[in-house]
Amino acid sequence: MKVNEVPQDALTYYEGIKRACFALNDEGKYVVVASTGSNEEATANGLAVDELAATLEETRRAVLAGEKSPLCYHMERRQMNPDILGKTAGIAVFRVKRHFRPDIFPRLKPSVLNRYAQALAVTVEELRTVPR
Amino acid sequence: MTTELTSAGRPFVHHHSAHCESGVLVALFRDKGVELTESLIFGIGSGIFFAHLPFIKWVGLPITTFRSRPGSLLTKVSKRLGAKFIAKKYRNAEKGMTELRERLREGRLVGLTTNIYWLSYMPERFRFQFNGHNIVILREIENGFRVSDPVLDRPVDCSTEDLERARFARGPLEPKGFMYWAESVKPDPDLRPACIAGMKDACNMMLRAPFPFIGIRGMRRLARATIKSPEKLGFKDACRRLANIVRMQEEVGTGGAGFRFMYAAFLQEAAELFASDDLAGLSREMTAIGDIWREFAVVSARIIKQRGQSEETFAKAGGLMLICAGREEQLFRDLDKIARKLKA
Repeated sequence: MKVNEVPQDALTYYEGIKRACFALNDEGKYVVVASTGSNEEATANGLAVDELAATLEETRRAVLAGEKSPLCYHMERRQMNPDILGKTAGIAVFRVKRHFRPDIFPRLKPSVLNRYAQALAVTVEELRTVPR
Repeated sequence: MTTELTSAGRPFVHHHSAHCESGVLVALFRDKGVELTESLIFGIGSGIFFAHLPFIKWVGLPITTFRSRPGSLLTKVSKRLGAKFIAKKYRNAEKGMTELRERLREGRLVGLTTNIYWLSYMPERFRFQFNGHNIVILREIENGFRVSDPVLDRPVDCSTEDLERARFARGPLEPKGFMYWAESVKPDPDLRPACIAGMKDACNMMLRAPFPFIGIRGMRRLARATIKSPEKLGFKDACRRLANIVRMQEEVGTGGAGFRFMYAAFLQEAAELFASDDLAGLSREMTAIGDIWREFAVVSARIIKQRGQSEETFAKAGGLMLICAGREEQLFRDLDKIARKLKA
């Protein structure tokens, strides 16, 4: 890759930062060039981000329809899975999965809710609801 | 370039790096008065690698990596350059944060391994649950720390709460507050034996790894799987897999084309160091291979974007990867021979 071939596609989601890329200058020596991102990268990233957003939206609807508990939504919002959430909150994975059931979740003790809230960096009130 | 102050009051020049771990090591070595380039550190620490691990899933997709395991650059580079680093892990988050403050009070420059999701200064779309991002802590500020993140182009602030979460995040490859700093660094390290050791080690990993998922064999395996993937998984899932490979190659801590350009830069520096035309030739070849990896990314992006409407096929993408595998195999075989003949 030559210096003038370093992708400069000005990706908006870079939020003004730049990435360093190695490229050859005119004398054939490697130099580090700041890049504003490439469209290929954006395509791959976009697919992953869209997919996460779609699953999250699906979960949100499921919570509103009373099929899942809000805990599931907040876990997915933090891009976690039951395993990571269980470890962070110090609660066994099978219990975490059980707490995804809308009939079980409202009966949880405040101490358990606190641990989830702490692990997910949300308040207990937020944890009990999902955005409308 | 921005000039900052470290906790010791020394000026610190933030260096924009392509890869986080090598970038942190550049900063730690420079603080001890040893100037090394990022690519040299990457080469000496045998950072180049390939592995496709179908049995380890990350957000439901198999892991593909173009560089060595996080943390291995630190151990390999310090050993080969005769530097003494102290590295610590903590069970207790509070203890880990106290010790960080203590080290800063002693005026040290400290490297940390963190989870990138909880670093809120990162652009939203870079944030995902990955536990191997390395950063440098410059000094404590009000309600937080001044951070030199090597992959960003300027130093930033990070709140104490975010940093604690990032350091003690759970999940695969937990950082457990991993923290390291340079105790003593040889003032004039002998680069030649270090480069030779780095090259030989890289050749071993790429050519002689005893598992089919690693090195050139892993690359071929993944290429074949990619060609078959649309029939086996269906078009949509095949796209997800392909996008994940491209993401790992172009986005996750890289100097372009999955670290291949960074390694080419290392080979160029080594060629000068040993006054070897052979190495210069290999550097050019590595650049050419990197260009093919870039082409693979372009072709893959077209497949993903146009959802089957484009001329590009999975067979073409996999074919490009097979070409890379073939040329890299030849390159590492040549490098292995050359490295054995070099005089330290």
